[in-house]
Amino acid sequence: MTPAILALLLLLVPLTAALLIAFFFRRAGGIARFLSVGAALAVAAIAGHLIFRTGDTSVDVRWLTLGDFSLSLGFLINPLSKLMLGVVALVGFLIHVFALGYMKGDASVARFFGCVSFFMFSMLGIVLADNLAMLFIFWELVGVSSYLLIGFYLEKPSAVAASNKAFITNRVGDFGFVIGIAWAWVQFGTLNLDAIAARIAADPSLALTGVALLLFCGAVGKSGQMPLHVWLPDAMEGPTPVSALIHAATMVAAGIYLLCRIHFMMTVEALNVVLFVGICTALYAGLCAITQKDIKKILAYSTVSQLGYMVAAFALGSLYATRHPEQAGAAALTVGAAAAMFHLTTHAFFKALLFLGAGSIIHGCHHEQNIFKMGGIARKMPVTFLTFTAGYLALIGFPFLSGFYSKDTILYLAGQVSPLAEKLLVAGAVLTAFYMTRLWVTVFFGRAKSDHSDHAHESPLVMTVPLLILAVLAVVGGGAFIYAGPLAALPLSLPHIDEAAHHALFITSAVIVGVGVAAAIGVYRVGSANDRLEQTVRPLHSLLVGVQRVFDVLYGWYVEYVQQRLAELLGFLEHLLVSGLVVRGSAAVAGVLGIAARSLHTGNLHNYVYWFLGGLLAFWFLAFGL
Amino acid sequence: MPALPCLSALPFLAAIGLNHYIAVAAMLFAIGFFGVLLRQNTLVIYMSLELMLNAATLAAVAFSRYNGTMDGNVFVFFIITVAAAEVAVGLAIVVALFRKRHTVQVEELDALKN
Repeated sequence: MTPAILALLLLLVPLTAALLIAFFFRRAGGIARFLSVGAALAVAAIAGHLIFRTGDTSVDVRWLTLGDFSLSLGFLINPLSKLMLGVVALVGFLIHVFALGYMKGDASVARFFGCVSFFMFSMLGIVLADNLAMLFIFWELVGVSSYLLIGFYLEKPSAVAASNKAFITNRVGDFGFVIGIAWAWVQFGTLNLDAIAARIAADPSLALTGVALLLFCGAVGKSGQMPLHVWLPDAMEGPTPVSALIHAATMVAAGIYLLCRIHFMMTVEALNVVLFVGICTALYAGLCAITQKDIKKILAYSTVSQLGYMVAAFALGSLYATRHPEQAGAAALTVGAAAAMFHLTTHAFFKALLFLGAGSIIHGCHHEQNIFKMGGIARKMPVTFLTFTAGYLALIGFPFLSGFYSKDTILYLAGQVSPLAEKLLVAGAVLTAFYMTRLWVTVFFGRAKSDHSDHAHESPLVMTVPLLILAVLAVVGGGAFIYAGPLAALPLSLPHIDEAAHHALFITSAVIVGVGVAAAIGVYRVGSANDRLEQTVRPLHSLLVGVQRVFDVLYGWYVEYVQQRLAELLGFLEHLLVSGLVVRGSAAVAGVLGIAARSLHTGNLHNYVYWFLGGLLAFWFLAFGL
Repeated sequence: MPALPCLSALPFLAAIGLNHYIAVAAMLFAIGFFGVLLRQNTLVIYMSLELMLNAATLAAVAFSRYNGTMDGNVFVFFIITVAAAEVAVGLAIVVALFRKRHTVQVEELDALKN
């Protein structure tokens, strides 16, 4: 089969599963689960074939034409999309399997799997899309499936509010994105990525900072970058497999993927802004994570922080490439895309693992999510403990685990491009080690602090096997050997780090991990029953809570006092002018005319004859002039 | 107006010209029109209508004769045919109306008022 047919199949399989569930099996959880997981397996198989057995392709079909504007649908399969496809298909399948166990017994399990399959369809569309318009369509579709899944527990008002928040916040980012797409159309006359790349290669002055930044707006919304990160922590209201799949491993990484896809449209000015946003996000989210008590919210802020790293990695790598053009060579990916995608991939493994581990813990503790009410999980859930620990160590950049390599690459690039950026990112990494250690020692050690955690039990095999596979990937994901075949483009495109820099980085990483872990254990001790930072250094804790809430408060104030006031004013004007004057006014004119015309309508035959006579006379006078 | 051979047998008829016919037709039409305008009974109004129709027919025949063509006469045959059908329908409506409303006085038939 040709790659195009395979790619089409890749989209149609999960879509078919979702539609079948939506139309026929909404009440049949068993069949829906089978369909959805089967579709995920098929996607993984097709994706494997597409990645390893077929070459790069690009196909394009004209979809609709409006004047001289034409939209096309097509697939662009290159090393970058193959890598993303591999991550989505593999992690997606493992999370589907995990969800079999996690969602067992839920009344709406069919709806869950239908939405997840729909998500897979949309996400694969983003990965394969060859032009910005198609990418935007699927971009919105993942937004919809994310909305549906965050609000999965419909009866919980907080879940409904969170889904609305996610949807609305993403609209803000997507507004910039769609303007950027329109501008790109004006600027380049096409939306096809390859065609735009060719135009810019021919004339680099075509790349505009404005276009690049507007397109980056979409990534800011979807990937939870400051200042639009507020929705991602709230999105944890959704079921945990959803948090792992959508809000950690794949959808939120779509923003980074978008940046890598449009890397040729970036200018140095735009990259500086991107770098600034990425570093701010990485640091800010790390600070926010420290005061959280909900295990999933800690992981959510950690995700925001790591997404900041990826964005920064993209900017740093691209800036590095502009300064060291000799390194670009024949590599399939640019340095920026490679660095960002490397961290994206390892992050997808270990963060999906951490979320699924958290899901396993939550499942075992009967839906207790407060880390200070857990404690002593290590003995009760040994498999979860071991796998979670692997993910934890990978995330904090423990030497020779996957996160170590990808984070080192970022720090190396930062050191080459901007020493300030390097310092800030190192600080962010220390924060990561700090808050993750806090979570780890509080959840797994000490004694059980509630009945739920006292009765915790290990999860069934269907949940622990995906954990084990992801744990292996989180451990070895940084090694070049797992990027086989076409995926080898990734390690080959990374910047070459010489021996001395390597040693320095190793020491930096070890110090980061050591300082973060030691500080966290020093502050929180092992297995504490309450937040010791809150009790001992109260002002610092309050400050951190304030920092975390500042955006929500600011947005709340803006909505209440600016937007709502404006809306009320506009509403008043609308009532007065549009619905008052135009709509009701024209209706009133027609009504008065109607009353007048009705009074002529007497129902008396003789009156009509007189009218007829009058009309005849009038006609006569008109025709003959008296 | 050329002398009409068949009328020359009756000399006083020869004096009757187009204008006379038209005058009669106009009078018939006026009678019919005022009948429609002033009478209350649907049946009588209907008869008045027929009177107006016949006035028009008479005028058509007179003009046809005056012009020496057959156009008007052909027209008249059509009018008579259509009028016959129209009378059948119209009278049936009047009968049906009477059965339903027990009156054919137009001032009482104002269901379409307003």
